[in-house]
Amino acid sequence: MDGGIGSSVRRPDGPAKVRGEFSYAGDLTADGMLVGVTLRSPHPHARILRLDTAAARAMDGVHAVLTCDDVPGDRQFGLVLRDEPVLADGVVRYAGEPVAVVAAVDAATARRAARAVEVDYEVLPALTDPQLSLTAASVHPDGNVYRHVSYSCGDPDARGVVTVENTYRIGMQDPAFLAPEAGLARPTPDGGVAIEVATQWLHSDQRQIGWATGLPPEKVHVSLAGVGGAFGGREDVTLQVHACLLALATGRPVKIEYTREESFLAHRQRHPGTIWLRHSADADGRIVSVEGRVLLDGGAYASTSPVVITNTVTLLQGPYRVDNGRFEGWSVRTNNPSCGAMRGFGVPQAAFAHEAQLDALAAALGIDPVEIRLTNALQRGDVATFGQRFDAPTPVREVIEGLRAVPLPSGPAKPPGGVGRSGGGEVRRGVGWAVSIKNLAFSEGHVDESTAEVSLRDGHATVHTACAEVGQGFVTVAEQVARTVLGATSVDVVQPDTLVASAGSTSASRQTMASGTAVHRACLAVRDRMLGRVARAHGLDAATLTVADGVVCAAGRPLGPVATAAPGQTFRATEHFQHPATHPLGSGAGGMYVAFGFSAQRAVVDVDVELGLVSVVQIASCQDVGTVVNPTQLLGQIEGGIVQGMGLALMEEVVVVGGLITNPDLQDYLIPTIVDAPEIVSTYVTDPEPGMPHGWKGVGEPPLVTAVPVVAAAVRAATGLPLPAVPIRPEHIALGIGQAPTVTWTTPRAADPDRPRGPVVDEEPHDAPGTMAEEGAPAGG
Amino acid sequence: MTAVEDPRPEVAGGTDGPDSSVTFALTVDGTAHEVTARWDESLLTVLRDRLGVRGPKTGCAHGRCGACAVKADLGDGGHVLCSCLVPAATAAGGTVETIASIGGPDGALSDVQEAFLAEGAVQCGICTSGFVTAATELLDTNPDPTRTEIEAALYGNLCRCTGYGRIVAAVETAARTRRGDA
Ligand code: FES
Ligand code: FES
Repeated sequence: MDGGIGSSVRRPDGPAKVRGEFSYAGDLTADGMLVGVTLRSPHPHARILRLDTAAARAMDGVHAVLTCDDVPGDRQFGLVLRDEPVLADGVVRYAGEPVAVVAAVDAATARRAARAVEVDYEVLPALTDPQLSLTAASVHPDGNVYRHVSYSCGDPDARGVVTVENTYRIGMQDPAFLAPEAGLARPTPDGGVAIEVATQWLHSDQRQIGWATGLPPEKVHVSLAGVGGAFGGREDVTLQVHACLLALATGRPVKIEYTREESFLAHRQRHPGTIWLRHSADADGRIVSVEGRVLLDGGAYASTSPVVITNTVTLLQGPYRVDNGRFEGWSVRTNNPSCGAMRGFGVPQAAFAHEAQLDALAAALGIDPVEIRLTNALQRGDVATFGQRFDAPTPVREVIEGLRAVPLPSGPAKPPGGVGRSGGGEVRRGVGWAVSIKNLAFSEGHVDESTAEVSLRDGHATVHTACAEVGQGFVTVAEQVARTVLGATSVDVVQPDTLVASAGSTSASRQTMASGTAVHRACLAVRDRMLGRVARAHGLDAATLTVADGVVCAAGRPLGPVATAAPGQTFRATEHFQHPATHPLGSGAGGMYVAFGFSAQRAVVDVDVELGLVSVVQIASCQDVGTVVNPTQLLGQIEGGIVQGMGLALMEEVVVVGGLITNPDLQDYLIPTIVDAPEIVSTYVTDPEPGMPHGWKGVGEPPLVTAVPVVAAAVRAATGLPLPAVPIRPEHIALGIGQAPTVTWTTPRAADPDRPRGPVVDEEPHDAPGTMAEEGAPAGG
Repeated sequence: MTAVEDPRPEVAGGTDGPDSSVTFALTVDGTAHEVTARWDESLLTVLRDRLGVRGPKTGCAHGRCGACAVKADLGDGGHVLCSCLVPAATAAGGTVETIASIGGPDGALSDVQEAFLAEGAVQCGICTSGFVTAATELLDTNPDPTRTEIEAALYGNLCRCTGYGRIVAAVETAARTRRGDA
């Protein structure tokens, strides 16, 4: 129906947004509101010898100055592990770690008071090299390794005729959402606390606030304030706990709003990493074996580091069939900024490396890069290296073939513009290909669920979930579902809060699948209740009644509009959805992942080879999307993801020197502008995902995952340089920095047919990770 | 944040108060205000925190993102600028039009606002008031912009969500509507 699934419905929050009237967290205000400011450590690693807040407390207009001693509940919190102090507890482990928080009548007073807090530090040596983390003294009581994973499948020593190996590096990317963190907390009359905050996961915030305040969950109310972008960077708690502690301590509403610089210090970045890969293939380009090793720098506190590493390691195989392999990885603790979730969640790192390897294999064998990908493409029924069978549509060939049908842009190579503005030296055009696999939804046993409450009265539907709308468009999807299933003429999507059960995080491309399906189920239940009432009123059999295009039909014949079907009656339902259970790597119990998305892209770039400047002319994409829920929003997710991935490939890097971020602002941390953004041609493969309403699946991450390797491939094609690190900087091109993959011609050795096919998880590392440097790592990065 | 080290320029209608604040007249979206602000406060801070005008957003506060864009006439005929970069006192006696001044008749959306919605140029929307302000200025001065002219006009506005493709499409759609060849 009009406004239903499949149509380009406009965002329900769109009119307020184009008028500038939409209220974001930074727009919040309250009577009697105080302003909270955070004092942060200037050192990446130090012992706090003295912390004196007396002078700050004594200042006019200051209502509270809190340190770790003022935390009434548990002093430690964290998204996955509880390893992070709410406020520094004797030691600081990264530059920017919160040491004290202040509430005062205004921001200027609060900042003055924060400066008046006296802290004596004994600076300790900072552990900033992740390679040294495994052997260095532990910088935290929990040790330096967040997680080590190691497994093999088939016969990892099987060899084809050619072997290609190299070490790849990926820099630290910032989510750089445009609205810095903000939230407003208030004490509630029952002795609890309520916070409106820009977040991705309301119930995770609620839980962590509960730990620190010692309040039970029912006394911690979290509601979503307008969110100006997230991309994973709002999954961890930043100011939530601090604002609530200050509100409870002062008895007044307290707002915290970070500056841009503070935002860089406070939230989690994408894990920088080093990946060594060795691929062996036969003369036709068929992959015989893959060996891979990954080291991710998780920074000072765990966040999602124990989870991200498995994604990177298991998806090193790419969207290709790999029967024989050996894989290992570590995520480790350092005194660098903490890393966590960011769009793609460990997989852009893997994709950058495996796609470079496929191109290197193709070059060594003289095979077309597209053909080698088709030769190895995963198919439905194949078994992953980690033991899971691909038993849903696996359209890898289809996305490659779909992309092949898109014509190349014509016209001569032009001097780069935008950030890569060029004087017009020698400009070469390059074309590159990349294909990716991305797991969708939570994995490895994490419960992936959501709940929706839906009501319908006189054709007006109300949808209530705890799903955070961060810009991705869930509000539109929820409205489309209610229109399609219920025939609702108007839909109100209630601002999410913790009064309804958890929807999990708005991450992992999961909310259409999880919360969308919960809404779908609740709408079906409401519809059935409404139809039952109509059936009784008309003396009909409810089984013959349906809703189509907003009209109730009996045996296909229109009875009347839904809006007038049961005047004055309200129908309600609450439904829960939970994905089938997943299992930890190597548990042998079943799949690790809920679902997968596949994407193929082709990039065309123009490179000024003397200046090292790159202009991305076009990126064509063919993505496996399950079904198209909203064509315009789908395009927006794909274009946005591609440009963010292009940013990581060419310009975005949080530069950390000695544990300090040297570019914590949008002046020196470059994100793509409108001039940098390429033309994007977007095509789709639709093959419905089993078990999902309308066959929908998550779409937000695969575009970014593929864009990183595809831009790198095109720049390699233009320059002939190996470029094993992203972001590719001008000097990498102009000075030819980087080391080519090592290609070895070997005597084929057939796989041992007696080796078990499933994954064999090893407890101990095969080798020290320090050997990665000896296995072909370029000196520069 | 722009730090102004006591520039003390001649300010039309401005008077120096105690604690190095200054009081001056400022017309915002057609409403005349008398503002008292410190010398180091940006126009964005005055709009948002002193006058409660929340249409311009804070993205970076150092002139790189355009979320704070407003159209301001500071005696120079008026153009779109980053309000976070302008010391508020230098806007004394001036006129500021924020996103609240952009709209169609009778509370309807303007053609540019309509096009942003129709083309999916709005996701989280924190950049949107800046983009709509800059795109409106572009079309007011150049009703038939080329792609290059659109890029030149919007280069100072960052968007982290959309990848810009939908935004370019929205500007092109609004231009076509305005020319009557939609
Ligand atoms: S807030 Fe003014 S340009 Fe970013
Ligand atoms: S829509 Fe989110 S920054 Fe532009």
